[in-house]
Amino acid sequence: MKTAETRRRGFTVNQAIPVASVLVAGVFIWLGLSKYGFWHDQQGPMAGFYPTVIGFGLLAMAGLGFIFSLKDSVPVFPKESWMAVLGGLAIIGATFLIGLIPSAGLYVIVWLRWYEKFTWKTTLIAFAVIMAIVVGCFVLWLQVPFPRGIVFNAILK
Amino acid sequence: MENLDFLLQGFLVVFTLENLGATLLGCVLGLIIGAMPGIGSLAGCALLLPLTYKFNPTTAIIMLGGLYYSNMFGGAFSAILLNIPGDTPAIMTTLDGYPMATAKKRPGQALLTSNISSFIGGLLGMIILTFTGPALANVGLKFGPVEMTTLLLFAMTSIGWLVGENPVKGLILTLLGMLVASMGMDTLTGSPRYDFGNIYLLGGVPFTPFVIGIVGFSQVIMLMEQRNIAPKLVTDKLTLRGSMLTRRDFKRLFLPSIRGGLLGTFIGVLPGAGATAASIMSYSAQKSFKSEEPLGTGAVEGIAACESANNGAAAGAFAPLLALGIPGSGTGAVLLGGLMLWGLNPGPLLFKNSPDFAWGLIASLFIANIVALAVSWGVIPFLVKILSVPTKVLIPAITVVCIVGSYSTSNSMYGVTIMFVSGILGYVMQKFKYSYAPLLLAFVLSPMLESNMRKAFIISRGKVEIFVEKPISLAFVIAIVGIMVFPIIRYFLIKKGFIKPKAKI
Repeated sequence: MKTAETRRRGFTVNQAIPVASVLVAGVFIWLGLSKYGFWHDQQGPMAGFYPTVIGFGLLAMAGLGFIFSLKDSVPVFPKESWMAVLGGLAIIGATFLIGLIPSAGLYVIVWLRWYEKFTWKTTLIAFAVIMAIVVGCFVLWLQVPFPRGIVFNAILK
Repeated sequence: MENLDFLLQGFLVVFTLENLGATLLGCVLGLIIGAMPGIGSLAGCALLLPLTYKFNPTTAIIMLGGLYYSNMFGGAFSAILLNIPGDTPAIMTTLDGYPMATAKKRPGQALLTSNISSFIGGLLGMIILTFTGPALANVGLKFGPVEMTTLLLFAMTSIGWLVGENPVKGLILTLLGMLVASMGMDTLTGSPRYDFGNIYLLGGVPFTPFVIGIVGFSQVIMLMEQRNIAPKLVTDKLTLRGSMLTRRDFKRLFLPSIRGGLLGTFIGVLPGAGATAASIMSYSAQKSFKSEEPLGTGAVEGIAACESANNGAAAGAFAPLLALGIPGSGTGAVLLGGLMLWGLNPGPLLFKNSPDFAWGLIASLFIANIVALAVSWGVIPFLVKILSVPTKVLIPAITVVCIVGSYSTSNSMYGVTIMFVSGILGYVMQKFKYSYAPLLLAFVLSPMLESNMRKAFIISRGKVEIFVEKPISLAFVIAIVGIMVFPIIRYFLIKKGFIKPKAKI
C-alpha cells in the first residue's frame, strides 16, 4: 500500500485547496458586493460587508498558499481509504430503502465479514456491541426518530 | 476568598446524581477514547456531542469537560503500552513511557506515574483557574465591540498562524471557516444570505454534523491507511498490586509534576499553544533539571514532566474559554460550540449571569480529576484488552456513530450529508497538511467577530483607526502583528545564519 509522499513538485494536486479557496473567495466577494451590499451611508456595514472583507483576505492568502504549494511534496491518496467513503455512501443510499439503523447494521456485518474477512464470531460480537451502543443511546435513550425507508414504510402501512 | 465560596456553590451544583453520573460517564469514555490510538479528544468530544442533547446544559458540558480532561489521562496509555500516542499531547510520553514499560519491565509503574503526575498537573491548573478565571472575566467586562474584535482576531490569528507546519495554510483555513460560518442568516439583521437557494442552508451549516465530519469521519478515512499495521503491545501482565510506585518513585515524579503543571497551565491559557506544546516545552525544560536517569531511557521524571503539563494545559485552557469566550484549541472550539448550542454565551458575563454553570463546571473538573485518577488506576488490569481492539473493528464502529450521531442532531439526512462532505474535506485537508483546528475555531468564533466588527464600524462611522485608538485594542493589534511578523523575521535570521535553528526533540 502506498502511503508515502512523492517528491514531485510544480503544478500538482497540491494547488487544489488554494485554487478552490480562490473560487470560494470570488463567489463570496461577488455575491457580497452585488447582492447583499457592502456599505450603507446611514446604516454602516451591510450583510455582505464581513464576508467580502474575509473573501479578500482569503484571496490574498490563497495566492500565497498557491506559491508555497509549488514546493510541497505531493501526498498519496491510497485507494483503500476511499472504501470508507464508499461504505458511508452505501449506508446513506440504503437508508432510503431499508432505513438508517438496519443499513448501519448491515454495513457493519458486510464490512467486517466480507471486507475485513473476520470470522463470524468476531463479526457478530462487534455487531452486537456497536448496535447495542447505537440502539441503546440513540433509539432508546435519545428517542431519535430515525428514517425507516421505503420498504419498512410500505410494510408498516 | 470569594472565589472559594463560589467554588463551594459549584460543588453543590455538581453533587447531584445526574451530574456525578455525567462526570463518571465522561471520564470513562474519555479514558477509553484517549487510549485508542488515532481518535483523540477532538474527535471524542465531537462524536459524543449528540449524546449530551438529552441533558441540561450544565450536565452536558460537565460530561464533555470530564471527557476532554480524562482524555489527557487516556492518551498516555497507548503511548506507554503501544509506543503510539492516543492523542497528540501524549507524543512526548512515548519517549520515556515505552522504554520504562519495555526495557525496564515496569509497565504498571509507568502508567501509574503518568496518572499521578496528570492528577498533580491538572489539580494545579484547576486551582489557578479558580482564581484567574473570574479575574479574567472582570477584565473582559471592560471590553466593548472594538476590544472584542481585536481580541477575537488575535485568538484566530494565533491559532491559524501557530498551529501546523505552515502559517499560510492555517490562515487559509481560518478564513474559510469564517466564510462557511457566514452562510445562512446575517448575524445583525437576520436576513438570509449565501443560502444559494437551498432551504436547508438558510439555517447555516449545522455545527455538530460539520464537526463530526471534519474530525470524526475524516479520521475514519485516515485510519484506513493504518488498519493493517499491527502495534506491538506490551504483553506483561498488568495488575494493580504490580503497578504500585515506591517512595523513591514518588519523590522523583513530584517536583517535575509541579513544574510541568505550572508551565502547562500558563501555556494552556494562551490561544494556539495547547496541551501538545505544553508537553513538549515541559519535557524540554526537564532536561535542564536533575533526573536520576537520562531522559529518553524510561525516566520517571520524563513521564511526569510531560503528563503533568498536558493536564495543566487542559485545565488552564478553560480560563479564556469561560471568561472571554475564546477557546485555545480545536477541542475548546467544540466545547464552545456545544455551550452555544445550549444557549449559553461564554464570555465576561458568564460568571455573573450563569454562576451555577460556570462554577459547576470548574467544580466538576476537580471531581473529574479525582474520578479520572481512580478510573485510570482501576482499569490498568483491563488496558491490554482495551488496546487490543483492532483498528479494523474501530473503522465501522466510528463510521456508524458518525452517521447516526449527525442524523440525530438535525433529524434529517441533511445533517448526514453535511457530515459526509465535511469528512471528505477534512481528510483531504489532513493529507495536504492543513490542520483543521483553525477552521473549527474560526467557524465557532466568526458570528461573534462579525457582530462586534460591524458594531465597531457603526460606532466609528467606518473609520479603521478606532482599532488603534483604544489602548487594549492597540495592544491586541500589536500582538497580532507580532505573531505574524516574528516567524518571518526568525525565518530570515536563520537563513542568513544570524541564529541557529532549534534542534528537534
